[in-house]
Amino acid sequence: MIPVFRQAAVSRLEPVAENTFVLSYIDKECGAELEPGQFCMISPEPGLSDIFLPRPFSYYRLTEPDTVEIFFRIVGKATHWMATLNPGDRIRVFGPLGRGFTTRPDTTRAILVGGGIGLPPLVFLAGKLAELHKNLEIDLLYGETTGARVIDLSGVLPERVRCRMATEDGLIGHKGLVTELFSEIFDGLDSSPAVYTCGPKAMMAALAGMLNPAKVGLFEASLEENMACGIGICQGCAIPLKGEKVRYECCCTQGPVFNGFEIQWQ
Amino acid sequence: MNLETTFLGLRFQNPVLVASGTFGYGEENYEIMPFRLLGGLVTKTITVEPRAGNPPPRIVETDAGMLNSIGLANVGLEAFLRDKLPWIMEHAGESRIIVNFAGFSVEEYVRLGEILGRTPGIDALEVNLGCPNVHAGYVHFGADPGTVREVIAGVREKTDRPLIAKLTPNVTDIASLAEAAVRAGADALSLINTLPGMKIDVERRKPVLGMGFGGLSGPALRPVGVACVYKVYRHLRQAGKAVPLIGIGGITCGRDALEYIMAGADLVQVGTANFVHPQAALKVIEELAFFCRERKIEKISELVGAAHGE
Repeated sequence: MIPVFRQAAVSRLEPVAENTFVLSYIDKECGAELEPGQFCMISPEPGLSDIFLPRPFSYYRLTEPDTVEIFFRIVGKATHWMATLNPGDRIRVFGPLGRGFTTRPDTTRAILVGGGIGLPPLVFLAGKLAELHKNLEIDLLYGETTGARVIDLSGVLPERVRCRMATEDGLIGHKGLVTELFSEIFDGLDSSPAVYTCGPKAMMAALAGMLNPAKVGLFEASLEENMACGIGICQGCAIPLKGEKVRYECCCTQGPVFNGFEIQWQ
Repeated sequence: MNLETTFLGLRFQNPVLVASGTFGYGEENYEIMPFRLLGGLVTKTITVEPRAGNPPPRIVETDAGMLNSIGLANVGLEAFLRDKLPWIMEHAGESRIIVNFAGFSVEEYVRLGEILGRTPGIDALEVNLGCPNVHAGYVHFGADPGTVREVIAGVREKTDRPLIAKLTPNVTDIASLAEAAVRAGADALSLINTLPGMKIDVERRKPVLGMGFGGLSGPALRPVGVACVYKVYRHLRQAGKAVPLIGIGGITCGRDALEYIMAGADLVQVGTANFVHPQAALKVIEELAFFCRERKIEKISELVGAAHGE
Protein backbone atom coordinates (compact mmCIF):
# COMPACT_ATOMS: atom_id res chain seq x y z
CA MET A 1 0.00 0.00 0.00
CA ILE A 2 1.03 3.61 -0.52
CA PRO A 3 2.67 5.02 2.61
CA VAL A 4 0.79 7.76 4.39
CA PHE A 5 2.15 10.57 6.55
CA ARG A 6 -0.24 11.21 9.40
CA GLN A 7 -0.79 12.22 12.97
CA ALA A 8 -1.47 9.38 15.36
CA ALA A 9 -2.47 9.24 19.02
CA VAL A 10 -0.33 7.32 21.49
CA SER A 11 -2.49 4.79 23.30
CA ARG A 12 0.11 3.27 25.64
CA LEU A 13 3.78 3.34 26.58
CA GLU A 14 4.89 0.32 28.53
CA PRO A 15 8.37 -0.31 29.97
CA VAL A 16 9.24 -3.93 29.17
CA ALA A 17 12.94 -4.20 30.09
CA GLU A 18 15.90 -2.00 30.97
CA ASN A 19 15.51 1.23 28.93
CA THR A 20 13.19 -0.67 26.62
CA PHE A 21 9.59 0.22 25.85
CA VAL A 22 6.62 -0.83 23.77
CA LEU A 23 4.81 2.14 22.24
CA SER A 24 1.26 1.67 20.98
CA TYR A 25 -0.55 4.06 18.70
CA ILE A 26 -3.84 4.09 16.86
CA ASP A 27 -3.73 3.77 13.09
CA LYS A 28 -7.23 3.16 11.77
CA GLU A 29 -6.30 3.22 8.11
CA CYS A 30 -3.41 0.87 7.58
CA GLY A 31 -3.09 -1.27 10.68
CA ALA A 32 -4.32 -4.56 9.19
CA GLU A 33 -2.21 -4.27 6.04
CA LEU A 34 1.21 -4.12 7.63
CA GLU A 35 3.71 -6.83 6.80
CA PRO A 36 6.35 -8.19 9.17
CA GLY A 37 9.66 -6.48 8.42
CA GLN A 38 8.09 -3.26 7.20
CA PHE A 39 8.72 -0.11 9.19
CA CYS A 40 7.45 3.38 9.90
CA MET A 41 9.17 6.71 10.48
CA ILE A 42 8.23 8.43 13.73
CA SER A 43 8.72 12.11 14.51
CA PRO A 44 7.36 14.67 16.97
CA GLU A 45 4.87 17.36 16.09
CA PRO A 46 6.86 20.43 15.00
CA GLY A 47 7.90 22.69 17.84
CA LEU A 48 7.56 20.05 20.55
CA SER A 49 11.09 18.75 20.36
CA ASP A 50 14.42 19.60 18.78
CA ILE A 51 14.49 16.30 16.91
CA PHE A 52 14.87 17.16 13.24
CA LEU A 53 14.63 13.95 11.19
CA PRO A 54 12.07 11.17 11.60
CA ARG A 55 13.41 7.84 12.96
CA PRO A 56 12.70 4.40 11.52
CA PHE A 57 11.12 1.61 13.64
CA SER A 58 9.97 -1.78 12.46
CA TYR A 59 6.50 -2.89 13.42
CA TYR A 60 6.35 -5.17 16.46
CA ARG A 61 2.73 -6.26 16.75
CA LEU A 62 -0.83 -5.46 15.81
CA THR A 63 -2.84 -5.94 18.97
CA GLU A 64 -6.15 -4.77 17.55
CA PRO A 65 -6.92 -4.11 13.91
CA ASP A 66 -6.14 -0.45 14.53
CA THR A 67 -3.47 -0.56 17.23
CA VAL A 68 0.12 -0.73 16.10
CA GLU A 69 2.97 -1.49 18.47
CA ILE A 70 6.60 -0.65 18.04
CA PHE A 71 9.42 -1.53 20.34
CA PHE A 72 12.37 0.72 21.16
CA ARG A 73 15.34 1.10 23.44
CA ILE A 74 16.69 4.47 24.59
CA VAL A 75 19.90 5.15 22.66
CA GLY A 76 19.74 8.84 21.74
CA LYS A 77 17.75 12.05 21.51
CA ALA A 78 14.73 10.69 19.66
CA THR A 79 14.25 7.59 21.80
CA HIS A 80 14.63 9.77 24.93
CA TRP A 81 11.75 11.87 23.65
CA MET A 82 9.69 8.79 22.85
CA ALA A 83 10.16 7.48 26.39
CA THR A 84 8.43 10.62 27.72
CA LEU A 85 5.24 10.16 25.68
CA ASN A 86 1.89 9.75 27.41
CA PRO A 87 -1.40 8.24 26.24
CA GLY A 88 -3.22 10.79 24.10
CA ASP A 89 -0.04 12.50 22.93
CA ARG A 90 0.19 13.11 19.19
CA ILE A 91 3.07 11.79 17.14
CA ARG A 92 3.73 11.85 13.39
CA VAL A 93 3.92 8.49 11.67
CA PHE A 94 4.91 7.80 8.07
CA GLY A 95 4.33 4.29 6.78
CA PRO A 96 4.15 1.48 5.99
CA LEU A 97 7.60 1.61 4.38
CA GLY A 98 9.99 -0.91 2.88
CA ARG A 99 9.80 -4.55 1.91
CA GLY A 100 8.99 -7.15 4.55
CA PHE A 101 9.92 -10.79 5.05
CA THR A 102 8.79 -13.63 2.77
CA THR A 103 5.89 -15.05 4.71
CA ARG A 104 5.35 -18.06 2.44
CA PRO A 105 8.65 -19.94 2.58
CA ASP A 106 8.86 -23.19 0.63
CA THR A 107 10.15 -25.10 3.67
CA THR A 108 8.81 -27.15 6.56
CA ARG A 109 10.86 -25.34 9.18
CA ALA A 110 11.59 -21.71 9.95
CA ILE A 111 14.31 -20.52 12.31
CA LEU A 112 14.16 -16.90 13.43
CA VAL A 113 17.32 -15.49 14.99
CA GLY A 114 16.96 -12.18 16.80
CA GLY A 115 19.45 -10.16 18.80
CA GLY A 116 18.74 -7.23 21.12
CA ILE A 117 16.58 -4.54 19.61
CA GLY A 118 16.35 -6.61 16.41
CA LEU A 119 13.66 -8.74 18.03
CA PRO A 120 10.46 -6.81 17.09
CA PRO A 121 10.05 -7.70 13.40
CA LEU A 122 10.76 -11.37 14.18
CA VAL A 123 7.99 -11.52 16.78
CA PHE A 124 5.64 -10.04 14.18
CA LEU A 125 6.92 -12.57 11.63
CA ALA A 126 6.57 -15.56 14.00
CA GLY A 127 2.93 -14.66 14.56
CA LYS A 128 2.28 -14.29 10.84
CA LEU A 129 4.02 -17.56 9.93
CA ALA A 130 2.03 -19.42 12.60
CA GLU A 131 -1.18 -17.91 11.24
CA LEU A 132 -0.43 -18.75 7.60
CA HIS A 133 1.10 -22.25 7.91
CA LYS A 134 -0.45 -25.02 9.98
CA ASN A 135 2.46 -27.42 9.57
CA LEU A 136 5.49 -25.15 9.63
CA GLU A 137 7.80 -25.74 12.59
CA ILE A 138 8.87 -22.37 13.95
CA ASP A 139 11.81 -21.64 16.27
CA LEU A 140 12.54 -18.18 17.61
CA LEU A 141 16.02 -17.78 19.05
CA TYR A 142 16.50 -14.58 20.99
CA GLY A 143 19.83 -13.28 22.23
CA GLU A 144 20.66 -10.40 24.57
CA THR A 145 23.78 -9.11 26.26
CA THR A 146 22.22 -9.23 29.72
CA GLY A 147 19.15 -10.76 31.33
CA ALA A 148 18.04 -7.27 32.43
CA ARG A 149 17.31 -6.45 28.82
CA VAL A 150 15.33 -9.57 27.97
CA ILE A 151 11.65 -8.96 27.48
CA ASP A 152 9.04 -11.46 28.55
CA LEU A 153 7.52 -12.98 25.42
CA SER A 154 4.94 -15.16 27.20
CA GLY A 155 1.53 -14.30 25.86
CA VAL A 156 3.13 -12.50 22.93
CA LEU A 157 4.08 -15.49 20.76
CA PRO A 158 1.69 -18.17 19.51
CA GLU A 159 2.06 -21.33 21.60
CA ARG A 160 3.51 -23.44 18.82
CA VAL A 161 6.46 -21.10 18.30
CA ARG A 162 9.38 -22.63 20.22
CA CYS A 163 11.32 -19.82 21.84
CA ARG A 164 14.83 -20.21 23.25
CA MET A 165 16.97 -17.51 24.76
CA ALA A 166 20.65 -16.82 25.16
CA THR A 167 22.23 -14.11 27.31
CA GLU A 168 25.90 -13.31 27.46
CA ASP A 169 25.76 -12.96 31.26
CA GLY A 170 23.78 -16.21 31.56
CA LEU A 171 21.00 -14.66 33.67
CA ILE A 172 18.34 -16.06 31.36
CA GLY A 173 18.57 -19.09 29.07
CA HIS A 174 21.74 -20.34 27.46
CA LYS A 175 24.90 -18.57 28.67
CA GLY A 176 26.56 -17.37 25.50
CA LEU A 177 25.62 -16.24 22.06
CA VAL A 178 22.39 -16.82 20.20
CA THR A 179 24.37 -18.14 17.23
CA GLU A 180 25.46 -21.06 19.44
CA LEU A 181 21.80 -21.94 19.97
CA PHE A 182 21.34 -21.73 16.22
CA SER A 183 24.19 -24.20 15.60
CA GLU A 184 22.65 -26.69 18.00
CA ILE A 185 19.42 -26.78 16.02
CA PHE A 186 20.80 -26.24 12.54
CA ASP A 187 23.60 -28.82 12.65
CA GLY A 188 21.13 -31.62 13.43
CA LEU A 189 18.69 -30.81 10.64
CA ASP A 190 18.31 -32.97 7.56
CA SER A 191 15.95 -30.57 5.75
CA SER A 192 16.66 -27.05 4.52
CA PRO A 193 15.04 -24.46 6.78
CA ALA A 194 14.08 -20.86 6.12
CA VAL A 195 16.33 -18.64 8.23
CA TYR A 196 15.29 -15.13 9.18
CA THR A 197 17.38 -12.71 11.20
CA CYS A 198 17.46 -9.22 12.64
CA GLY A 199 19.92 -7.89 15.18
CA PRO A 200 23.43 -6.53 15.60
CA LYS A 201 25.45 -6.64 12.39
CA ALA A 202 28.15 -8.84 13.98
CA MET A 203 25.52 -11.40 14.95
CA MET A 204 23.97 -11.46 11.49
CA ALA A 205 27.39 -11.64 9.84
CA ALA A 206 28.32 -14.60 12.05
CA LEU A 207 25.07 -16.30 11.10
CA ALA A 208 25.68 -15.65 7.41
CA GLY A 209 29.10 -17.28 7.79
CA MET A 210 27.46 -20.45 9.15
CA LEU A 211 25.06 -20.85 6.24
CA ASN A 212 25.57 -22.57 2.93
CA PRO A 213 23.10 -21.38 0.28
CA ALA A 214 22.64 -24.96 -0.93
CA LYS A 215 21.46 -26.09 2.49
CA VAL A 216 19.07 -23.27 3.32
CA GLY A 217 15.68 -22.72 1.70
CA LEU A 218 15.74 -19.00 2.38
CA PHE A 219 17.96 -16.59 4.29
CA GLU A 220 16.53 -13.15 4.95
CA ALA A 221 18.07 -10.43 7.09
CA SER A 222 16.48 -7.16 8.18
CA LEU A 223 19.07 -4.39 8.22
CA GLU A 224 19.38 -0.92 9.64
CA GLU A 225 21.22 2.22 8.54
CA ASN A 226 20.99 5.94 9.28
CA MET A 227 18.03 7.15 7.25
CA ALA A 228 16.44 10.50 6.45
CA CYS A 229 13.49 10.15 4.06
CA GLY A 230 12.43 6.48 4.22
CA ILE A 231 11.37 6.45 0.55
CA GLY A 232 14.55 6.17 -1.50
CA ILE A 233 15.10 9.84 -2.21
CA CYS A 234 17.99 10.87 0.00
CA GLN A 235 20.07 7.75 -0.80
CA GLY A 236 21.39 7.97 2.74
CA CYS A 237 20.75 4.42 3.97
CA ALA A 238 23.16 2.60 1.67
CA ILE A 239 23.63 -1.13 2.26
CA PRO A 240 26.73 -2.63 0.56
CA LEU A 241 26.02 -5.70 -1.56
CA LYS A 242 28.38 -8.40 -2.79
CA GLY A 243 29.71 -8.11 -6.32
CA GLU A 244 32.77 -7.32 -8.37
CA LYS A 245 32.03 -3.61 -8.30
CA VAL A 246 31.06 -1.55 -5.24
CA ARG A 247 27.29 -1.63 -5.14
CA TYR A 248 24.71 -0.27 -2.70
CA GLU A 249 20.97 -0.57 -2.28
CA CYS A 250 18.77 1.69 -0.18
CA CYS A 251 17.80 0.03 3.08
CA CYS A 252 14.46 1.88 3.04
CA THR A 253 13.12 0.79 -0.35
CA GLN A 254 15.10 -2.29 -1.43
CA GLY A 255 15.05 -3.48 2.20
CA PRO A 256 15.05 -3.36 5.11
CA VAL A 257 14.72 -7.10 4.49
CA PHE A 258 17.41 -8.39 2.11
CA ASN A 259 18.52 -11.77 0.85
CA GLY A 260 21.20 -12.40 3.48
CA PHE A 261 23.46 -14.12 0.95
CA GLU A 262 23.70 -10.92 -1.12
CA ILE A 263 24.87 -8.65 1.68
CA GLN A 264 28.52 -7.62 1.90
CA TRP A 265 28.81 -8.30 5.62
CA GLN A 266 32.42 -7.20 6.14
CA MET B 1 -3.15 37.18 -5.41
CA ASN B 2 -0.85 35.43 -7.79
CA LEU B 3 2.10 33.13 -7.12
CA GLU B 4 3.04 32.90 -10.79
CA THR B 5 6.57 33.95 -11.51
CA THR B 6 8.42 34.56 -14.74
CA PHE B 7 12.02 33.45 -14.58
CA LEU B 8 14.39 33.51 -17.56
CA GLY B 9 11.38 33.97 -19.81
CA LEU B 10 9.72 30.82 -18.45
CA ARG B 11 6.40 30.87 -16.60
CA PHE B 12 6.56 29.13 -13.21
CA GLN B 13 3.14 28.36 -11.68
CA ASN B 14 4.61 29.19 -8.27
CA PRO B 15 8.10 30.10 -7.05
CA VAL B 16 8.67 26.90 -5.04
CA LEU B 17 10.93 24.18 -6.45
CA VAL B 18 12.55 21.16 -4.84
CA ALA B 19 16.32 21.12 -4.55
CA SER B 20 18.65 18.69 -6.25
CA GLY B 21 19.24 15.50 -4.29
CA THR B 22 16.22 15.94 -2.07
CA PHE B 23 13.55 14.75 -4.49
CA GLY B 24 15.26 12.03 -6.54
CA TYR B 25 13.95 11.87 -10.10
CA GLY B 26 10.40 12.80 -9.09
CA GLU B 27 9.08 9.25 -9.33
CA GLU B 28 10.11 7.87 -5.94
CA ASN B 29 7.37 9.70 -4.05
CA TYR B 30 5.05 10.74 -6.87
CA GLU B 31 2.05 9.05 -5.25
CA ILE B 32 2.62 10.92 -2.01
CA MET B 33 3.82 14.24 -3.41
CA PRO B 34 3.26 14.79 -7.16
CA PHE B 35 5.84 17.30 -8.30
CA ARG B 36 3.49 18.69 -10.96
CA LEU B 37 2.06 20.88 -8.15
CA LEU B 38 5.41 22.61 -7.71
CA GLY B 39 7.04 25.44 -9.56
CA GLY B 40 9.64 22.97 -10.71
CA LEU B 41 11.67 19.85 -10.07
CA VAL B 42 15.44 20.00 -9.91
CA THR B 43 16.76 16.50 -10.51
CA LYS B 44 19.40 14.71 -8.55
CA THR B 45 22.87 15.64 -9.83
CA ILE B 46 23.64 13.74 -13.04
CA THR B 47 27.23 12.73 -13.82
CA VAL B 48 28.66 11.24 -17.03
CA GLU B 49 29.06 7.77 -15.50
CA PRO B 50 26.72 6.10 -13.00
CA ARG B 51 27.95 6.44 -9.42
CA ALA B 52 27.40 4.00 -6.53
CA GLY B 53 28.11 6.70 -3.95
CA ASN B 54 30.04 6.78 -0.68
CA PRO B 55 30.33 4.08 2.01
CA PRO B 56 27.80 4.38 4.84
CA PRO B 57 26.93 5.94 7.17
CA ARG B 58 26.07 8.68 4.70
CA ILE B 59 23.85 10.84 6.85
CA VAL B 60 23.53 11.92 10.45
CA GLU B 61 21.30 14.40 12.22
CA THR B 62 22.82 17.52 13.74
CA ASP B 63 21.19 20.40 15.61
CA ALA B 64 18.52 21.86 13.32
CA GLY B 65 19.81 20.00 10.31
CA MET B 66 21.80 17.09 9.02
CA LEU B 67 25.09 16.15 7.43
CA ASN B 68 25.18 14.12 4.24
CA SER B 69 27.93 12.50 2.27
CA ILE B 70 26.02 10.65 -0.42
CA GLY B 71 28.83 10.95 -2.97
CA LEU B 72 26.63 12.01 -5.91
CA ALA B 73 25.11 8.55 -6.24
CA ASN B 74 23.12 8.64 -9.49
CA VAL B 75 22.18 6.55 -12.51
CA GLY B 76 24.53 8.38 -14.92
CA LEU B 77 23.71 10.40 -18.03
CA GLU B 78 22.74 7.56 -20.36
CA ALA B 79 20.29 5.89 -17.97
CA PHE B 80 18.91 9.28 -16.96
CA LEU B 81 18.04 10.17 -20.54
CA ARG B 82 16.67 6.70 -21.28
CA ASP B 83 14.86 5.74 -18.04
CA LYS B 84 14.20 8.85 -15.98
CA LEU B 85 13.67 11.94 -18.14
CA PRO B 86 10.79 10.55 -20.26
CA TRP B 87 8.87 9.69 -17.10
CA ILE B 88 9.55 13.12 -15.61
CA MET B 89 8.35 14.85 -18.80
CA GLU B 90 5.21 12.76 -18.88
CA HIS B 91 4.27 13.66 -15.30
CA ALA B 92 5.44 17.27 -15.06
CA GLY B 93 2.18 19.01 -16.01
CA GLU B 94 2.95 22.74 -15.74
CA SER B 95 5.90 22.15 -13.45
CA ARG B 96 9.31 23.09 -14.87
CA ILE B 97 12.06 20.52 -15.31
CA ILE B 98 15.55 21.60 -14.31
CA VAL B 99 18.37 19.11 -14.69
CA ASN B 100 21.28 19.45 -12.29
CA PHE B 101 24.65 18.06 -13.39
CA ALA B 102 28.29 17.90 -12.32
CA GLY B 103 31.60 16.84 -13.82
CA PHE B 104 34.93 15.81 -12.39
CA SER B 105 36.74 17.82 -15.08
CA VAL B 106 35.90 20.87 -17.18
CA GLU B 107 35.54 18.55 -20.19
CA GLU B 108 32.89 16.48 -18.38
CA TYR B 109 30.90 19.59 -17.48
CA VAL B 110 31.02 20.79 -21.08
CA ARG B 111 30.03 17.40 -22.47
CA LEU B 112 27.09 17.09 -20.06
CA GLY B 113 26.01 20.65 -20.81
CA GLU B 114 26.13 20.02 -24.54
CA ILE B 115 24.11 16.79 -24.43
CA LEU B 116 21.55 17.92 -21.86
CA GLY B 117 21.36 21.30 -23.60
CA ARG B 118 20.08 19.75 -26.81
CA THR B 119 17.77 17.22 -25.15
CA PRO B 120 14.12 18.23 -25.61
CA GLY B 121 11.94 18.59 -22.52
CA ILE B 122 14.52 20.16 -20.21
CA ASP B 123 13.54 23.74 -19.29
CA ALA B 124 16.84 24.77 -17.72
CA LEU B 125 20.21 23.41 -16.64
CA GLU B 126 21.61 23.83 -13.15
CA VAL B 127 25.38 23.40 -12.90
CA ASN B 128 26.51 21.91 -9.58
CA LEU B 129 29.88 23.57 -8.97
CA GLY B 130 30.40 21.75 -5.66
CA CYS B 131 32.23 18.87 -7.31
CA PRO B 132 35.93 18.15 -6.73
CA ASN B 133 38.27 18.78 -9.68
CA VAL B 134 40.25 15.56 -10.10
CA HIS B 135 42.81 17.40 -12.24
CA ALA B 136 43.51 20.14 -9.69
CA GLY B 137 43.97 18.65 -6.24
CA TYR B 138 40.30 17.89 -5.74
CA VAL B 139 39.50 21.54 -5.01
CA HIS B 140 35.84 22.29 -5.74
CA PHE B 141 35.23 23.94 -9.10
CA GLY B 142 33.09 26.50 -7.30
CA ALA B 143 35.90 27.60 -4.99
CA ASP B 144 37.87 29.52 -7.61
CA PRO B 145 36.62 32.25 -9.98
CA GLY B 146 38.92 30.90 -12.70
CA THR B 147 37.43 27.39 -12.75
CA VAL B 148 33.91 28.79 -12.36
CA ARG B 149 34.55 30.87 -15.47
CA GLU B 150 36.02 27.93 -17.37
CA VAL B 151 33.13 25.59 -16.58
CA ILE B 152 30.33 28.09 -17.18
CA ALA B 153 31.86 29.57 -20.35
CA GLY B 154 32.53 26.07 -21.69
CA VAL B 155 28.93 24.97 -21.15
CA ARG B 156 27.56 28.31 -22.38
CA GLU B 157 29.36 27.91 -25.67
CA LYS B 158 27.56 24.63 -26.30
CA THR B 159 23.98 25.51 -25.42
CA ASP B 160 21.40 28.29 -25.47
CA ARG B 161 19.27 26.56 -22.81
CA PRO B 162 18.72 28.71 -19.68
CA LEU B 163 21.83 28.10 -17.58
CA ILE B 164 21.84 28.34 -13.79
CA ALA B 165 25.09 28.15 -11.80
CA LYS B 166 24.66 26.64 -8.32
CA LEU B 167 27.28 28.19 -6.07
CA THR B 168 28.92 26.80 -2.98
CA PRO B 169 29.13 29.03 0.11
CA ASN B 170 32.56 27.63 1.05
CA VAL B 171 34.44 30.61 -0.34
CA THR B 172 35.90 33.84 0.97
CA ASP B 173 33.71 36.11 -1.12
CA ILE B 174 30.68 34.58 -2.77
CA ALA B 175 29.89 37.85 -4.57
CA SER B 176 33.03 37.66 -6.68
CA LEU B 177 32.27 34.03 -7.64
CA ALA B 178 28.73 35.04 -8.51
CA GLU B 179 30.05 37.78 -10.75
CA ALA B 180 32.52 35.37 -12.38
CA ALA B 181 29.67 32.96 -13.19
CA VAL B 182 27.51 35.73 -14.64
CA ARG B 183 30.34 37.21 -16.72
CA ALA B 184 31.03 33.71 -18.08
CA GLY B 185 27.45 33.44 -19.30
CA ALA B 186 25.26 32.09 -16.48
CA ASP B 187 21.67 33.29 -16.89
CA ALA B 188 20.83 32.84 -13.21
CA LEU B 189 22.36 31.68 -9.93
CA SER B 190 21.27 29.18 -7.28
CA LEU B 191 22.46 30.02 -3.76
CA ILE B 192 23.55 28.00 -1.78
CA ASN B 193 24.89 24.46 -1.68
CA THR B 194 25.76 22.78 1.66
CA LEU B 195 28.51 23.81 4.10
CA PRO B 196 31.17 21.25 5.06
CA GLY B 197 30.74 19.75 8.52
CA MET B 198 31.63 16.83 10.74
CA LYS B 199 30.11 14.97 13.66
CA ILE B 200 32.28 12.82 15.90
CA ASP B 201 31.04 9.77 17.79
CA VAL B 202 32.71 10.30 21.16
CA GLU B 203 32.20 6.67 22.23
CA ARG B 204 33.92 5.28 19.14
CA ARG B 205 36.33 8.24 18.91
CA LYS B 206 35.86 8.71 15.19
CA PRO B 207 33.72 10.67 12.73
CA VAL B 208 30.19 9.29 12.36
CA LEU B 209 30.08 9.54 8.57
CA GLY B 210 31.85 6.94 6.47
CA MET B 211 33.78 9.65 4.63
CA GLY B 212 34.34 11.79 7.73
CA PHE B 213 33.10 15.07 6.29
CA GLY B 214 29.59 15.81 5.11
CA GLY B 215 27.52 18.69 3.79
CA LEU B 216 25.44 20.55 6.36
CA SER B 217 21.86 21.29 5.34
CA GLY B 218 18.57 22.14 6.99
CA PRO B 219 17.41 25.12 9.07
CA ALA B 220 20.88 25.55 10.61
CA LEU B 221 22.06 26.68 7.17
CA ARG B 222 19.29 29.21 6.50
CA PRO B 223 20.89 32.42 7.84
CA VAL B 224 24.00 31.65 5.78
CA GLY B 225 21.94 31.17 2.63
CA VAL B 226 19.84 34.28 3.17
CA ALA B 227 23.01 36.34 3.73
CA CYS B 228 24.55 34.97 0.52
CA VAL B 229 21.47 35.81 -1.55
CA TYR B 230 21.29 39.30 -0.02
CA LYS B 231 24.96 39.95 -0.67
CA VAL B 232 24.99 38.61 -4.24
CA TYR B 233 21.76 40.44 -5.17
CA ARG B 234 23.27 43.74 -4.02
CA HIS B 235 26.68 43.12 -5.56
CA LEU B 236 25.38 42.14 -9.00
CA ARG B 237 23.13 45.19 -9.19
CA GLN B 238 26.00 47.48 -8.26
CA ALA B 239 28.18 45.77 -10.87
CA GLY B 240 25.45 46.23 -13.48
CA LYS B 241 25.28 42.45 -13.91
CA ALA B 242 21.97 41.62 -12.18
CA VAL B 243 20.53 38.16 -12.95
CA PRO B 244 17.65 36.30 -11.32
CA LEU B 245 18.51 34.30 -8.19
CA ILE B 246 17.20 31.09 -6.64
CA GLY B 247 17.36 30.86 -2.83
CA ILE B 248 18.20 27.51 -1.22
CA GLY B 249 19.08 26.48 2.31
CA GLY B 250 16.93 25.44 5.26
CA ILE B 251 13.51 26.43 3.92
CA THR B 252 10.76 24.64 5.86
CA CYS B 253 7.83 27.06 5.74
CA GLY B 254 6.41 30.07 3.90
CA ARG B 255 8.18 32.62 6.10
CA ASP B 256 11.54 30.97 5.43
CA ALA B 257 10.88 31.25 1.69
CA LEU B 258 9.90 34.90 2.13
CA GLU B 259 13.25 35.66 3.77
CA TYR B 260 15.00 34.46 0.62
CA ILE B 261 12.57 36.26 -1.68
CA MET B 262 12.98 39.52 0.21
CA ALA B 263 16.76 39.06 0.16
CA GLY B 264 16.53 38.99 -3.63
CA ALA B 265 15.50 35.50 -4.82
CA ASP B 266 12.90 35.13 -7.58
CA LEU B 267 12.48 31.41 -6.88
CA VAL B 268 13.26 29.18 -3.91
CA GLN B 269 14.12 25.51 -3.56
CA VAL B 270 12.97 23.37 -0.65
CA GLY B 271 15.60 20.73 0.19
CA THR B 272 16.17 18.85 3.41
CA ALA B 273 12.63 19.64 4.62
CA ASN B 274 11.41 17.10 2.03
CA PHE B 275 12.96 14.39 4.21
CA VAL B 276 11.20 15.59 7.33
CA HIS B 277 7.78 15.76 5.66
CA PRO B 278 7.26 14.51 2.11
CA GLN B 279 4.78 17.32 1.43
CA ALA B 280 6.90 20.11 2.92
CA ALA B 281 7.07 22.03 -0.36
CA LEU B 282 3.26 22.13 -0.62
CA LYS B 283 3.10 23.67 2.83
CA VAL B 284 5.57 26.35 1.71
CA ILE B 285 3.36 27.15 -1.30
CA GLU B 286 0.20 27.34 0.82
CA GLU B 287 1.84 29.59 3.37
CA LEU B 288 3.20 31.93 0.70
CA ALA B 289 -0.30 32.24 -0.74
CA PHE B 290 -1.75 32.88 2.71
CA PHE B 291 0.85 35.56 3.47
CA CYS B 292 0.12 37.37 0.21
CA ARG B 293 -3.66 37.12 0.60
CA GLU B 294 -3.56 38.46 4.16
CA ARG B 295 -1.47 41.45 3.14
CA LYS B 296 -3.22 42.04 -0.16
CA ILE B 297 -0.03 41.50 -2.15
CA GLU B 298 -1.15 40.93 -5.72
CA LYS B 299 1.97 39.38 -7.16
CA ILE B 300 4.62 37.63 -5.13
CA SER B 301 7.26 39.03 -7.46
CA GLU B 302 6.61 42.44 -5.83
CA LEU B 303 8.46 41.14 -2.79
CA VAL B 304 11.68 40.15 -4.56
CA GLY B 305 14.53 42.13 -3.00
CA ALA B 306 12.14 43.98 -0.65
CA ALA B 307 14.61 43.73 2.25
CA HIS B 308 17.04 46.00 0.42
CA GLY B 309 14.68 48.91 0.97
CA GLU B 310 15.02 50.36 -2.49
